[in-house]
Amino acid sequence: MKANPKDVNTGVYYIDGDVSSGYGALAAGCKFVGGYPITPSTEAFEAVCRRGPLVGAMFIQMEDELGSIASVVGASWAGVKSMTITSGPGFSLMMETIGFGAMLETPFVLLNIQRGGPSTGVPTKTGQADMMQSRWGSHGDYELIAISPDSPQEMFDYTIKAFNLAERYRCPVMIMSDECVGHMTEKVVIPPADEIEVEPRRFYDGPINEYLPFKPDEDLVPPMVKAGDGYKLYITGLIHDERGYSIKNEEYKFIYTKRLVDKIRLNKDKIIELKEEETDDAEVVVVSYGISSRVAVRGIEKAREKGIKVGSLRLVTVWPFPDEKIAELAKTIKAFVVPEINYGQIAFEVERCSHGEANVILVPHGGAGVHNPDDICDAIEYAAKEKKRIEGVIEYKTKLEKLVFEEGYKLHE
Amino acid sequence: MNPIITVFSKGIEKSGIKPSKVSVPSDIPFGSEVVNHLGVDFFHTIRGRAIPFGTGLKLGNPALKVVPFVGDLMTLGGNHFVHAGRRNMELLVICVNNFVYRKIGGQPAPSTPVTFSPYSTFEEPFNIPHLGNSCGAVYTARWTALHTDELANSIAEALNKQGLSVIEVLSPGPNYYTKIEDIESNLINFYYENSVIKNGEDPKNARITPEEKIVVGKFTDKERPTFIDSYNAQLSKVLGDKFTPYGGKNG
Amino acid sequence: MSPLKTIDSKIVHPMDNLLRMERIPHIWCPSCGIGLAVTAFTAALEKAKIDLNKVAIVSGIGCTGRVAGYTKLDSFHTTHGRPIAFGTGIKIGNPEIKVVVFSGDGDLIAIGGNHFIHAARRNIDMLVVCVNNFIYAMTGGQVAPTTPLAAYATTSPYGCVEPPFNIPYLADSSGAVYVARWTTLHIRRLTNSITEALNKRGFSVVEVISPCGMYYSRINKLGDGLDMMKFYHDNAEIRHGEDTKNLGIGFQTKIIVGKFVDRERPTYMDSYNKWLSEIKTEEKLRK
Repeated sequence: MKANPKDVNTGVYYIDGDVSSGYGALAAGCKFVGGYPITPSTEAFEAVCRRGPLVGAMFIQMEDELGSIASVVGASWAGVKSMTITSGPGFSLMMETIGFGAMLETPFVLLNIQRGGPSTGVPTKTGQADMMQSRWGSHGDYELIAISPDSPQEMFDYTIKAFNLAERYRCPVMIMSDECVGHMTEKVVIPPADEIEVEPRRFYDGPINEYLPFKPDEDLVPPMVKAGDGYKLYITGLIHDERGYSIKNEEYKFIYTKRLVDKIRLNKDKIIELKEEETDDAEVVVVSYGISSRVAVRGIEKAREKGIKVGSLRLVTVWPFPDEKIAELAKTIKAFVVPEINYGQIAFEVERCSHGEANVILVPHGGAGVHNPDDICDAIEYAAKEKKRIEGVIEYKTKLEKLVFEEGYKLHE
Repeated sequence: MNPIITVFSKGIEKSGIKPSKVSVPSDIPFGSEVVNHLGVDFFHTIRGRAIPFGTGLKLGNPALKVVPFVGDLMTLGGNHFVHAGRRNMELLVICVNNFVYRKIGGQPAPSTPVTFSPYSTFEEPFNIPHLGNSCGAVYTARWTALHTDELANSIAEALNKQGLSVIEVLSPGPNYYTKIEDIESNLINFYYENSVIKNGEDPKNARITPEEKIVVGKFTDKERPTFIDSYNAQLSKVLGDKFTPYGGKNG
Repeated sequence: MSPLKTIDSKIVHPMDNLLRMERIPHIWCPSCGIGLAVTAFTAALEKAKIDLNKVAIVSGIGCTGRVAGYTKLDSFHTTHGRPIAFGTGIKIGNPEIKVVVFSGDGDLIAIGGNHFIHAARRNIDMLVVCVNNFIYAMTGGQVAPTTPLAAYATTSPYGCVEPPFNIPYLADSSGAVYVARWTTLHIRRLTNSITEALNKRGFSVVEVISPCGMYYSRINKLGDGLDMMKFYHDNAEIRHGEDTKNLGIGFQTKIIVGKFVDRERPTYMDSYNKWLSEIKTEEKLRK
């Protein structure tokens, strides 16, 4: 289905990633946004507040993040595409309801503009340390989808994709962006509506009294209905059967959890999007996502200037994780270099999937800034030279770290 | 719970609203057969979030009548309650108050009256109609599970009210509450002898204390623009023709 | 070198012992009223003659949330919305400590609204100074639950559609024992109120209406800080003992200030101790 022309503000803009994502949501047909101001994600919510009423989208600033995400799950069951926008501490507050949304198989999009943490941390600067939280943050077993855009243009494109995936697989989808991308102002081209592919909600169209809210189709995803249409919905966060009724049967818990996980895992190939460059004859592959992948471009260029055969694998979809792709690459290359703005999250995933066949070098960053491309280049150089196979993740010592810890960088002045 | 649901069903019938247009987000689980009988859409949400979930339902589809059922909502959901009152979000909140957290074995809840719990509790309880009224609810009432007719009438009336309505229902929690309290096991009698109907009373004076009779009745019934009304009015004023009013009074 | 070092070290500011001078200059914008609220608070601390080692100040997130960081007391800068809950912990952990929660309207009334009403219900012995500037200023001017109807903010670009909270009424109806409201113009009265409230046992709330020249006034075209002060001068009316029900604030309407509630109720610790001694006697009787 094509986007509704009314929802799309076609044109060329010079806007930041947050605003771009807000426009993307409206273009995707989002009709409800529940939010709460939190730096650095507020601009996205403000954009929706400005433009939303003109395209018939409702917004509400709730009393806190607990309320905003609960209202989003509610609105989705009322039949509209919905989204919430948050960052750092707000993301932590939302965790319980994210699990609730996954359990109810509710499609919604969560835009998380990552900032430095833990706790209040560095609200105005960047971080990439919520990656594992986005995957494992709520309790219990579930799978969801996370996307990591790296430019304002991608914030627009991938917000639409996030809505499409949410509706397609009936699950929460997270856009794990970061402050740098959120506050980066660049040219954004918003195409005409007929060039935007939008996934409509998969509504049930059979007889009313035969509807089972959790009876999956062949692809393990059940069609949905909305409240108020006479289906007598019975929806609960307790473990439930196809009718939605809570049950205590251990076997069913098994079946249900398996489906919740499998509907994403078995559809992995259709969900995962990667951007691969020159990996065919590479010795070293840089695995990166979000803002780090943009910084890595320069590091890779520099390394190539030095004659190193280096490829790049950009994770556009971070969750589900491309296990097979990493395992396959590990067989042909010497090492992976993983730059990320944390002390090792995705690097450990890469190490897990490489099955000991390639070294994994983490280029860490404590947050509140991005890598120096030289550090990435140096790490690539080291990776190419290292002949030994070293177990575990190797933490590369960056220049900034040396400056801070070895040369006695004076913090108080 | 079940007697209240029966009354609720009667209330819907009296209000003339189609049950299929009623959505019930609740942090108390209903039996599935009960929901089938009611003919409403039922959402068993996580604790304390029935009101914001209902807010989403209402704003997602303004044609719905949303009735959050909350048990002792004042703990986790207190903030959502006061803010829904302030916004005058069009919800009918039915607060089933049995003075203890029934589901987790009988700890005192914030609406437990002083001196009613194992060793008596020492915290002052919330006076729910008063809190609702002072946060801006347009309709507040309190009934016990004994006042079935009055409760059904209240529910019917509140369902047709524009704005946040609050009905507190004092309900027996026979498993824990009565055993602990040594109040006569026949709670019906207890309510009968210990409640007094005072319609139109200022809810401020309707505190529940062990010494005095429980004041029940309809306390507040006023008019205020709802959230959607104010939204449409303000945006039409500012944006003029560019803005199409959202939803409308009843969708 | 910081400019402070150039000042003659013999000159001591009267508030030096109460403020962390090494952190000055502060982050607040020109024309902001939070500095005035802090001045009133520090003056009140001296006037109240309480042991400063036994005062803990807890702030949340936001512009006013930074107050804890500038006062030389036991200061805690906590997470968004949780200073009252955090302060409850301090108070129960060590009942000797006088807990002061100093935070903004968004922090205390929006996300922290539940803790606010519950602490009032329990009558936790603490003083809450709530600086109300009608907007979320730290994040750049979003609508708050105190933003007057039809006022503009970045997340209400076409005017605020939600009626605001009347903070004194909310506090009063949840059970606070002391409720007052002043603007930052009423600095002497504000100081007196805070002094009084510091010596009050129970949940006390002092609301401070404060100008936000950078966001609230700018978005709503109300002039700068001085214009706001003039507005307070012309439109604030002192009415002690006024029923808190009548204290709602509209967009640029009259602001009623004064002391509205001053009553006695057993505090949480009082009730707890009474309860404990009753149980002990009961247990003894049983034996």
